[in-house]
Amino acid sequence: MVSSSNRRFNRRALGRLVVAAAGTAVVAGCGRRPPAPDDPLRVMAVNHVWSKALRERLPEIEERLGRRVSMSLLTADQLAGAYNVKLNASTTDIDVMMVRALQEQALFARNGWLADLTGHVRGDAAFGWDDFQEAPREASTVSGRVLSVPVVTERPVLYYRKDLGEPPRTLDELLETSLRHTDPQNGVYGYVGRGQRSGAVTQWSSFLFSFGGDFTVDGRSGIGSPAALAAYEFYGTLLGRAGPPGATNMSLEQAMPIFAQGKAAHYIDADAIYTNFLDPSVSTLGDRVGFAPFPQGPAGSRPHNIPSWSLGVSRFSQLQDDSWEFVRWASSPEMVAGLQAAGIPGARRSVWADAATLAAFPADLAEAMRVNAGNGVGHDRPKVLQVGRARDIIGRPLVTAILGQPVGPAVRDADAEFADFLVRDNRHRES
Amino acid sequence: MRFPTSPAATIERSHRTLRWAMLTPALAFVGLMIAFPLVYTVYLSITDAFGAVNAGARPVGLQNYGDALTDGRRFWPAVWRTVVFTIGAVLLETVLGLALAMLMRKAFRGMRWVRTVLIVPLLATPVAIAILWLLILDPTNGIANRMLAVVGIGPQEFLGSVSGSLPTLVLIDVWQWTPMITLLLLAGLSTLPEEPEEAAVVDGANAWQRFRHVVLPMLVPTLATALVLRTVDALKTFDILYATKGPGGGSAFEVETLNVLAYGLTFDYQEYGLASAVLVLFTLFIIGIVVLLRRRAGRSES
Amino acid sequence: MSVISVPAQSAVVAVRRRRRPSGWSWVRGGAITLVCLVFALPIVWMFAAAFKTNAQVTDPSVGLVFTPTLDNFRAIIDGGQILQAMANSLIVGVVSTALSALIAVPAAWAVGRFRMRSTGSLVLVARIVPAVSLLVPWYYLFAQAGLVGTYTVLVLSHMFVSVPLILWIMIGFFEGLPIELEEAARVDGLSAFGAFLRIALPLAAPGTATASVLAFVASWNNFMFALVLADEDTETVPVTLFSFISYASTDWGGLMAAATLMTVPVVVVALLAQKHLVAGLTAGATKG
Repeated sequence: MVSSSNRRFNRRALGRLVVAAAGTAVVAGCGRRPPAPDDPLRVMAVNHVWSKALRERLPEIEERLGRRVSMSLLTADQLAGAYNVKLNASTTDIDVMMVRALQEQALFARNGWLADLTGHVRGDAAFGWDDFQEAPREASTVSGRVLSVPVVTERPVLYYRKDLGEPPRTLDELLETSLRHTDPQNGVYGYVGRGQRSGAVTQWSSFLFSFGGDFTVDGRSGIGSPAALAAYEFYGTLLGRAGPPGATNMSLEQAMPIFAQGKAAHYIDADAIYTNFLDPSVSTLGDRVGFAPFPQGPAGSRPHNIPSWSLGVSRFSQLQDDSWEFVRWASSPEMVAGLQAAGIPGARRSVWADAATLAAFPADLAEAMRVNAGNGVGHDRPKVLQVGRARDIIGRPLVTAILGQPVGPAVRDADAEFADFLVRDNRHRES
Repeated sequence: MRFPTSPAATIERSHRTLRWAMLTPALAFVGLMIAFPLVYTVYLSITDAFGAVNAGARPVGLQNYGDALTDGRRFWPAVWRTVVFTIGAVLLETVLGLALAMLMRKAFRGMRWVRTVLIVPLLATPVAIAILWLLILDPTNGIANRMLAVVGIGPQEFLGSVSGSLPTLVLIDVWQWTPMITLLLLAGLSTLPEEPEEAAVVDGANAWQRFRHVVLPMLVPTLATALVLRTVDALKTFDILYATKGPGGGSAFEVETLNVLAYGLTFDYQEYGLASAVLVLFTLFIIGIVVLLRRRAGRSES
Repeated sequence: MSVISVPAQSAVVAVRRRRRPSGWSWVRGGAITLVCLVFALPIVWMFAAAFKTNAQVTDPSVGLVFTPTLDNFRAIIDGGQILQAMANSLIVGVVSTALSALIAVPAAWAVGRFRMRSTGSLVLVARIVPAVSLLVPWYYLFAQAGLVGTYTVLVLSHMFVSVPLILWIMIGFFEGLPIELEEAARVDGLSAFGAFLRIALPLAAPGTATASVLAFVASWNNFMFALVLADEDTETVPVTLFSFISYASTDWGGLMAAATLMTVPVVVVALLAQKHLVAGLTAGATKG
């Protein structure tokens, strides 16, 4: 009696061990080996309208390459995490990668994770590297080497409720109108926007620029300047007094539905998300949504106009040539024109100049985008190596301002912290 | 004679190889998995490692420790939050757990079901618990504010506010872990001899006096073990904090404890040198607390 | 308040049986019921919300009476990611638990039989070290071996938690196992290892099962290791759930459905094995 159950136990344990060992060996073996002809080209992309649109057009490039293309769509956080894990391990699992030129590219460049595309982009006349807008082109270059190609650009746009009146033309008007429309009892607010510390910094940058400030001035911290202080206070008042409760927890994903449900009169955020407000399954606004350029501040209307997403090639990829072919195809004039005509703004000047591509956007949106692009500043976050930490430092006074606490001391402290940070950041750059 | 005088001694003496052979795989596994990381972490803490894990890192002596210990913006507030969270949670869990254990001590009908109910929060995934409480405590849509309104208390922001987040998370932790203390104490209570209590009854002591002077002292060993286990785990709480407030512990870093800070330094900032220094300090802190607790438990036992 | 003044134990029991429930018993019953509600209601709320539409979930006036719908489950399963994550959690959990039991149970026997408590407690040091301090070195190590993002690295990291856990529980178990049976077997000619294999191990089967279940649950719930070491193909359920939170932050129905899928296995386990699980959880506690 005892021995039979004993034998069963032994065999079971042994069997389990064998299976586990075999499984481990198989999985471990899926590491490095030279690329086979039927290996797919692996593209890692963020879950974005651009990626979804491109995925539909994949057969075209698959035929040209003679190779399958496998595209993974992840959320921005998942993507960053995946890059961290895979690139630190120098895996050959990634070929083409979607990166944020202003967020992680500098760090990736320092780590040596991006392939140098300079030869490819400059040596190809038909590709037309000069056709790309100057600011995105500049953002794609690190120390003279082109490390990515921008495919989606972004500007902030003022979404507003058409049924509540004309859009404000200046920031003061925006504040005044928003306060007027705020009615917490009925769950309606004058303004909604990002208030979560780090996520808010990019949208706040347009306010900063329009007040005449910048993140860094001559390489030193600029967030302690009078212009920056005014911008902090303005944004804090706007979101704190005319905004919904819990604003300091709101990133894009939380702020957007509030406007989509008609609970806010104004909303400033990326122009790329406009389709959400026209989609009846997401939004109750219908045709009540209007689009306007970024309002003017004391220093004019200076919104950011940035390459939000670019394509790079992993230095560890074993399919370098095919990867470049993919990038070339995805950012070619024809593709960008086609995508822009389908509502996804790209980075090529020739495409922007072609009125036909803007036909897909609602008329006032196209006009707002054109105006914003004309006034645009090429960055929406400080140009440092450790963008994450910088955003946390810069975003702290924003939260303080939104909560209605004294802004002056918070700004002075953040300014000092940012100055220290810049010293360390430069040290890292040089090492 | 068939049996030797001391069978246990026989096994011990002649099977040194056997016992080491059986113990070694476990020892070796844990040792290897921990030895290299510990040494490597200490090494990283004296370098300026940054950016990529295997990028070149230069030794910089104790600079990271200096940076951490002089950082009044992120490090010391994190230490404070860790202490507040741990003391708050463990204190409440002990008191409530003890009360509950005394309540359930004598067998009653349906005890099996009560124990099942108690064990579910313990086993449930902390991330799922975090999401659940995010819904229940949602300021506008959650049931918690609705129930408070019934008793006349105004709507609270709970996890949506900066000042309310850490206390709320303490309560969530209490909800999840009080059953563990209760079950541990129930097990301990069941092994206690009945005579001292009965003698106290004969001496005319009331329930509270019996508890305070007879039961509690006998419970101290069990209580001590439970306390040490729970304190170490509470110091290292991560899941519910990260799942409810995200990276950095919320917009104003309101729930950034040492563990959350160390995680952020490592994976959001890629400042591996500084993160390693913080982790070494954190580990020493935990060890210090454990030593302190065990010493106090030893003292109260004698 | 009842006062039992009869010293003899049997008399105490007899008196208790004959006594009618007193006022104190009602209070006690009420208190216990209240406590049960506090612990059970949130879980019930989660299950209920999983079957509500989003409009119903965000309307606090909708309680536990409503028409259930399976739409939330359909929506999250359609994406495919949650099923893949559950499969990953299952694979990692089963393999890591099996391997952990394989090396921890013999070790626990050795500690229990040969009274090597101090050596055994070295393994429990693993509990003190914060996981983050292990992650970067593991990252580096496993990256060199090309194992990051694989099941292997997840299994190994989960074993790091399971081995001390199973050890902790089984040491107490083996210490409580009377040595006479094994001695009798030894006298009958069995080697010490044979005694372990044929006598102690089968007797320890319930304890091993309990410890394994607890280790599996710990693996199922593990968040941080998979958060860092897994890639999008091998990520486990807590990580998938976590990315839902920000991405689908207003889809409460979907979130609750995902949370329910994660918690149902745990509840089933608790229902089936509560007595053993409680014994396992509290093992070692009374040994001080």
